[in-house]
Amino acid sequence: MMSYLLLQTIIIPALVSLFILLTRHKLGKKAGWIAGFSLLYTTALLIYACFLAYNGAAITEEYPFVSMEITFDLLGDGLSLPVALIINMLCTALAFYSIHYVEHRIEAIYGHEDERTFLNLYTKFFSLFLGFPLGFMGVCFVKNLIAMYFFLEILPIPLYFIMAFFGYIDRVRVALICFMWAIVSAGFFLAGTLIIYYHTGSFDISEISILASHPMAFWAILLILIAILAKMAVVPFQVWMPWVHAEHPTCIAGLLAVYANIAAYVMVRVLVFPLTDDFRVFSIPLMILALITMVYGSLLTLAQTDVKRFAACSTISQLAYSLLGISALTIFSVEGGMFFFLGHIMGKTILFSTAGILVYVTGIRDMRQLGGLAQKMPVTTALWIMGALMLSGFPPMSSFPAEWIMFTGIFKSGINAMPLGLIIAIMGVSAIILTVAYTFRSVKIIFFGPVNPALEDEKIKDPPLSMRVPLLLVAAVSIILGIYPKLVLNLFHTVLGKLPNL
Amino acid sequence: MKFAWLCILFPFIGVLCIPLLAKINPKIRNAAAVFFPSLSALSSLMLLPYLFNPESLPMESSYVWLSSPFIIEFGVLVDPLSIILANVVAVISFLITVYSLGYMKGDPGLTRFWILVNLFIGSMLLLVLSNNLLFLFVGWKLVGLCSYGLIGYYYRDEEKYCIGGPPPTKFVTPTHCGLKALIVTGVGDLIMLGGFLIVFYYSGTLNLMQLYHTSSQWISEMSKTPGMIVLISILLLAGPIGKSAQFPLHEWLPEAMAGPGPVSALIHAATMVKSGVYLVARLIPLFYYGYWVSGSGEASAFFIITAWVGAITAFVAATQGAVALELKKVLAFSTVSQIGYMWIGLGMSGLSQSVLVSGTTSGIFHLVSHAVFKACLFLCAGSVIHAAHSIYINQMGAMRKYMKLTWIFMTIAALCLMGIPPLVGFWSKDAILLSTLEAHSIPIFIIAIITVVLTSFYTTRFIGMVFYGPKSEHVKHVTEKEGHIHEAYKTMWSTCGILSVIIIVFGIIGPRIEHLMTLAFRSSLTGSINLPISEGTAHPVNYHLLVAVLSISAVLMGAIPAFILYILRKGDPSKILKKSPFLQIIHQFFWRRWFIDSFYNAIFVKGTEKLASFVAHTLEDGWDTIIHRKLPDLITRRSYNILIRLRTETDDLLYNLGYILVVFIGLIAFIFFTFL
Repeated sequence: MMSYLLLQTIIIPALVSLFILLTRHKLGKKAGWIAGFSLLYTTALLIYACFLAYNGAAITEEYPFVSMEITFDLLGDGLSLPVALIINMLCTALAFYSIHYVEHRIEAIYGHEDERTFLNLYTKFFSLFLGFPLGFMGVCFVKNLIAMYFFLEILPIPLYFIMAFFGYIDRVRVALICFMWAIVSAGFFLAGTLIIYYHTGSFDISEISILASHPMAFWAILLILIAILAKMAVVPFQVWMPWVHAEHPTCIAGLLAVYANIAAYVMVRVLVFPLTDDFRVFSIPLMILALITMVYGSLLTLAQTDVKRFAACSTISQLAYSLLGISALTIFSVEGGMFFFLGHIMGKTILFSTAGILVYVTGIRDMRQLGGLAQKMPVTTALWIMGALMLSGFPPMSSFPAEWIMFTGIFKSGINAMPLGLIIAIMGVSAIILTVAYTFRSVKIIFFGPVNPALEDEKIKDPPLSMRVPLLLVAAVSIILGIYPKLVLNLFHTVLGKLPNL
Repeated sequence: MKFAWLCILFPFIGVLCIPLLAKINPKIRNAAAVFFPSLSALSSLMLLPYLFNPESLPMESSYVWLSSPFIIEFGVLVDPLSIILANVVAVISFLITVYSLGYMKGDPGLTRFWILVNLFIGSMLLLVLSNNLLFLFVGWKLVGLCSYGLIGYYYRDEEKYCIGGPPPTKFVTPTHCGLKALIVTGVGDLIMLGGFLIVFYYSGTLNLMQLYHTSSQWISEMSKTPGMIVLISILLLAGPIGKSAQFPLHEWLPEAMAGPGPVSALIHAATMVKSGVYLVARLIPLFYYGYWVSGSGEASAFFIITAWVGAITAFVAATQGAVALELKKVLAFSTVSQIGYMWIGLGMSGLSQSVLVSGTTSGIFHLVSHAVFKACLFLCAGSVIHAAHSIYINQMGAMRKYMKLTWIFMTIAALCLMGIPPLVGFWSKDAILLSTLEAHSIPIFIIAIITVVLTSFYTTRFIGMVFYGPKSEHVKHVTEKEGHIHEAYKTMWSTCGILSVIIIVFGIIGPRIEHLMTLAFRSSLTGSINLPISEGTAHPVNYHLLVAVLSISAVLMGAIPAFILYILRKGDPSKILKKSPFLQIIHQFFWRRWFIDSFYNAIFVKGTEKLASFVAHTLEDGWDTIIHRKLPDLITRRSYNILIRLRTETDDLLYNLGYILVVFIGLIAFIFFTFL
């Protein structure tokens, strides 16, 4: 087995980030390619790690840190590895996508600055960008609650600065809103963590189960749940999401979906896995909350005319599907919910990034001013439609088997908790129609019909290859996982299948 | 078995090859687009001999697709039902691809068209040949997607491709129609998915044969919960109702006619809309078992709903077909109505133990005959519309002078639709009427007979308006401006010709086909699935005669007035209409499609838009103001004087940072004091 395999996936982005920061003027525009290739390398490492795990070998790496309580041990098992791999792959795709996009964004915000200032900003972006894979990999692999808290706290930092430097109109204010929400939710997470530590005497995630059946388990779960729900933008914590997604530079908007969605992973790892029975009391209330959020988010999306806000609002609704699956607490629904989460982040990355392409090419964010673009931008149209298919759970996208498996579990749990559970399940599956409605309605408004006369004369065409190819590859991965879901589900099952109470 | 696999596989290979071949040469691409469906058709024909030897059926072949968290196989099931459906789909699809060679000639988006058509054929075959509900659903979703793509094929929404009108009736764009179809059928699909999952919960399997064989256990289990079987009937029927455009989800199909002619023939007449009929036929054994063996009275709901949905739809759609002016819409209403007949037949099969085989046979027999004659009608309609440059039948007239072959073929198909003996439509429709009588469903029998009258009326009407009478102003204009209106391309009329020959041949051997299907279904339902049927399945002779006499009388009742008005042209229908206020009201009611579409539009479309606007502008904005404006203001202004000073004396950024810090410290303090 390769040494420091998991550590490399965390350390390499950090080192490359530092390298870009230190040599920014010498590197110049190569910074984007370096960031991209470094992530390509870590993606390759993760593919290898997944291969190992697929054959039954979980990867554990132990590194001493502050004390015996706060360690830096890493665990790559069937649950963390596929999640980490897909996230890292998306980071890689978006790093390449950003190469052109950031250039355009800097020119749009700062005008034609001198070369030095331009390079400063350009390299700053990639230096900060690598904070995402660093944080995500950390959250996925760490075995320790404090370390997880640390990585959850790292993520808002690049988010804050990237938004403040490269975002849209109201960027500084929105960056602060986002930062505030992140910190408040992390505070709740920390509170829950401390309760767990107080009663178990350990920060180790694998020892959380000691708290099972303890009266304080309820409070620990509740506090961590609040943190997770705020991060996942579940109603009533959804207000930050449309702002943050709308004002961000689009090249990282896909990662923002991951940022919100990774809470689903944390939920499974920290709450569902060790404290299944204590979590059961939250099951129905969470399912109701998820259902409300699904419908609310979809209706909110239907009312949007801004392409970026559109994608943002849809995230609110889509995240709730994973929440519904996980909170149904059956093996099918949890595995399906996690798989849906992966399908959703791929779909959302494509959709957000395509929204970015639209803004990049036309400079317009209002859907009503677009129209008929399929004639001029066929590849972009195909990408948007693929994003729509992923969100709506059409075959052959990965979200189709995910949705099927997830709802199998939701119905199982629903029938056991009749009539309310069954009503939630039926309404949940029917609510998908709203997703179909808003995604395909947007296809019609943006891409079909006659070309808007205002766009007729401009040289509007598909964007450069570096923006298209990464997204097409992400779509290809989604299709492969849709046709052959075994690749991920078998991995999940090695971990979640062992849970006796699901 | 390998032919069943190949049947599905070939069109998918076509999907992959077409874009590559398009880069080499468009002619090779076109050839490939027809070649792969032809191989599928050939493979499906190779399955036909099994129908003559039904004891060897069913046959299954499968591979494990998913092993965790539960096992799902990807496989094919060859039984009488799937063989019949696969042949209908593959053969008609192949013929329609040949027709499309001429119809779509020179279209700039042809690669997209061929990809979608091949994908459709493959998916449809997957749907009918799959041995389990999951892959059936995969095919189900994919055909819906192809239908969406092909209805909105002319995505630029040019005026000439819009349907609707004539003014003041509004026009709708192809992409709007595509979206409508996707959403309306999608509603049914998702509700049905719920039904599948409940079935899976109780049965633990998605495999069709296993579902049949284990029904004694899981249906009994299910019937312990009162209302569950009724619920599952409704959920499972929602999908077929949507896909087969049955009441109340029938409103998408007339608009689906915005797609190119061959698409309407292939997807919205001959194949996809039949998938609902197929699924109902697949589900019959489960509910039949529940009702007649397990003794669960609730299971009869499935059959009652099926029959009544069919009857209502058959009648409602026929009334609309009688007043429609767009040729393809008349045919679309007719399709909806005829599928209603199939549903009646299938519904009857569970209402009496003696009708199981004859009811199922009648529904599927009508499916086959309808697929042939309606495909022919649509293809002829495509040729006529192509030639006349108009979608309205009142802008045609005397077209038989210009398109003799098309006229002959379309008339044969139309007579078949009306149910004139000895064409195949006569036999299949009579089989359905007979099964309603056998099941003693007199109200449904009466509705079905009234619908026969309406069917023959609207069929004679459109044939008369298109091919007979004087030339319309529009036709004169076209002949003057663009020269002679000519017969369709050879590939187009020859396809129609082949279909007409099939109609006649099937008509001549109609009773034999029915007999063959009866034997096959009897063997399948009572043999491999082991359902009990009562003796005396032979039809009483007087019923046979009664049905034939009543049905022919009904045909004449509808056809004679239409013949006088629209073929002999003795009397002006518009003047008759003007004279009678009652007829005007009725006409308006039918023309406006019983106001069902407007009602849906007001409630579901506008209602959802209003709700969305309320959520976005009232709830979300209000909550956003409270959280992101009011709350910080409250905290800063009322409680923290220091922060007020910070904000007033320094810049906004610091104010915000201070705010965050205080909230954070407060939170940590709260947690420590409360819990630790």
